[in-house]
Amino acid sequence: MSLARMLKVLRKDFALGPRSPVFLYMIILPFALTALFQFAFGSLFTPQPRLGIVDEGTSAITAAIREMDGIELTVLEDAEELRTQVEANDLDAGLILSAGFDEAVRDGEQPPLQFYIGGESYASNRIILTVTALDVIRDLEGSEAPVEVEVVSFGEAGLPINLRLVPIIVFYALAMAGIFVPGSSLVEEKEQGTLMALLVTPVKASEVLVSKWAFGVVLATVMSGVTLALNGALGPRPLDVLVVLVVGAVLVATLGLLIGVVAKDSTMLFALIKGTGVLMFAPAIFYLFPDWPQWIAKLFPLYWVIEPIWRVSVMGGAISEVWFELGVALAISAVMLPLIVWLARRMQAQMAAQ
Amino acid sequence: MTTPAIKVEKLSFSYGNIQAVKDVSFEVMPGEILGFLGPNGAGKTTTIKVLTGQMPPKSGRAEILGMETGHDDPEIQAQIGVCFEEKNLYLNMSALENLDFFASLFGIKDANSMEVLRRVGLADRAKDRVHSFSKGMRQRMMISRAFINSPKVLFLDEPTDGLDPVTSATIRTTIKEEAERGAAVLLTTHDMFEADQLSDRVAFINEGEIVALDTAENLKLKYGTRSVKVHLRDGDHVREERIPLDEPDSSVRIAEFAASPDLMTIHTEEATLEQIFIELTGRGLAG
Repeated sequence: MSLARMLKVLRKDFALGPRSPVFLYMIILPFALTALFQFAFGSLFTPQPRLGIVDEGTSAITAAIREMDGIELTVLEDAEELRTQVEANDLDAGLILSAGFDEAVRDGEQPPLQFYIGGESYASNRIILTVTALDVIRDLEGSEAPVEVEVVSFGEAGLPINLRLVPIIVFYALAMAGIFVPGSSLVEEKEQGTLMALLVTPVKASEVLVSKWAFGVVLATVMSGVTLALNGALGPRPLDVLVVLVVGAVLVATLGLLIGVVAKDSTMLFALIKGTGVLMFAPAIFYLFPDWPQWIAKLFPLYWVIEPIWRVSVMGGAISEVWFELGVALAISAVMLPLIVWLARRMQAQMAAQ
Repeated sequence: MTTPAIKVEKLSFSYGNIQAVKDVSFEVMPGEILGFLGPNGAGKTTTIKVLTGQMPPKSGRAEILGMETGHDDPEIQAQIGVCFEEKNLYLNMSALENLDFFASLFGIKDANSMEVLRRVGLADRAKDRVHSFSKGMRQRMMISRAFINSPKVLFLDEPTDGLDPVTSATIRTTIKEEAERGAAVLLTTHDMFEADQLSDRVAFINEGEIVALDTAENLKLKYGTRSVKVHLRDGDHVREERIPLDEPDSSVRIAEFAASPDLMTIHTEEATLEQIFIELTGRGLAG
């Protein structure tokens, strides 16, 4: 096999990919799902509370709020500008801290404090900003809270729904890029007869197949990585995540190649993907329903890539925790190889006989 | 002595129980165009598929430039150019991208793809995607792709099938140029006119067997009859007479017709390859 020839075929596939509507659909779908889920269940389009402060002295309140995660702070020079921005809903709330405010609070003088609230702001943001402002002032005063708040949680304890949806979105990124792209690319070459045109040049069938597989591996790795990043689920060890994603991409691209070799045309390709789609998708569902018997998920091949991604990226685990799963994923890929070789020879003979 | 570019000995191939090629033997020398003439299903394309390494022969042997073929050997593939009957181009790539890509597969670093496109009259459409091309333009692209590596052996499967006369003429000119460059050309066709015009030798293939192989001229001499066709005025009608040239009184009869005041036209005629094919096989080329 010639690496140079494989790279030429791979480069051609990358150049042709964006010209195909099917390819674009496959790339866009995970992004669209991310946007849809984030919009429905929060985080991507739910803005952080936005607080504006006009600090006429150098108040410790401004410094304290600046240190807080989850509040977007804007410091302004002019009270009138603050009012304008709150009125225009550019800020959820505004606070004017007069010169010597901190000293007055510490001396117990109860100085006046102007707190603007935007009429169009989210009620949740108003509450957050109001409570936060009161807490910070109380800290400044050095007084204890008048009551002790006992927090009682209702509903099922566990991960928020937007996190539990991550395996589904990553599954789509992996499946679309890793299974569909190499599969459809190979089938398109067969349908258009370009595969036969390639095979009467010095390019060997094995080189074409490895190129298609590599096409799927690269795309699936990139797409699933980007999808995780979009969902804020890259975890604390991005290198570990990368290794897990590459192994996942290897498995799905091998599956994609197998489907591509078996399918004689696009109709058969879509039928195969639709037919096996439920089996492929099943393990992702189990993350939505943690009460289901989780061992069932292990019966499906893609569990062995989704579980490591879940544990290393979403849960922030180390790669050492998922060596076994990754090993199983690679073993499944290896088992498919001789089958692909046999089917590829049959495919070549069938194409020549047409 | 020059080595044949293509050497085929007792080559056979079957699809299951159907024998597609039976004990076929022939040679094509460098610079020679061998026309493979036969109807659809005669075994022409199967022979090409075996010779280009798409399928191994069931028996017999075939050599390309002295190397045994029948499997995908990059050394052989590097020396051949193939124009398929079905148009199999990358439709979403431009003409230039198609040629540059295939040139790169042959390891050609500075492919003169524009020059190749110019030869087939497509230089002005070089940057257009092939899906916008007409049937004739796509066929010219197929031919140009087969030439991109300046192959020593060219396999052209029905290169002008269904094309207009102008496009066909352009393609025939480029095929002749390739042969003049020294390429051995195996041309399959069921167009006897094309085979007659282009081929140095013609092989008639029927039901997987070569039934005759010689120059077109020799085949006509051997199997055809020469004649003179005369059109005569006959009242309000036109009468046609055919006088075989190889009969003892031929010259006398021709002189009589020539002297007749009713003579309208007189033409010499020779057997066409199609007539000879029919005589040899009992079937036409179009079937």
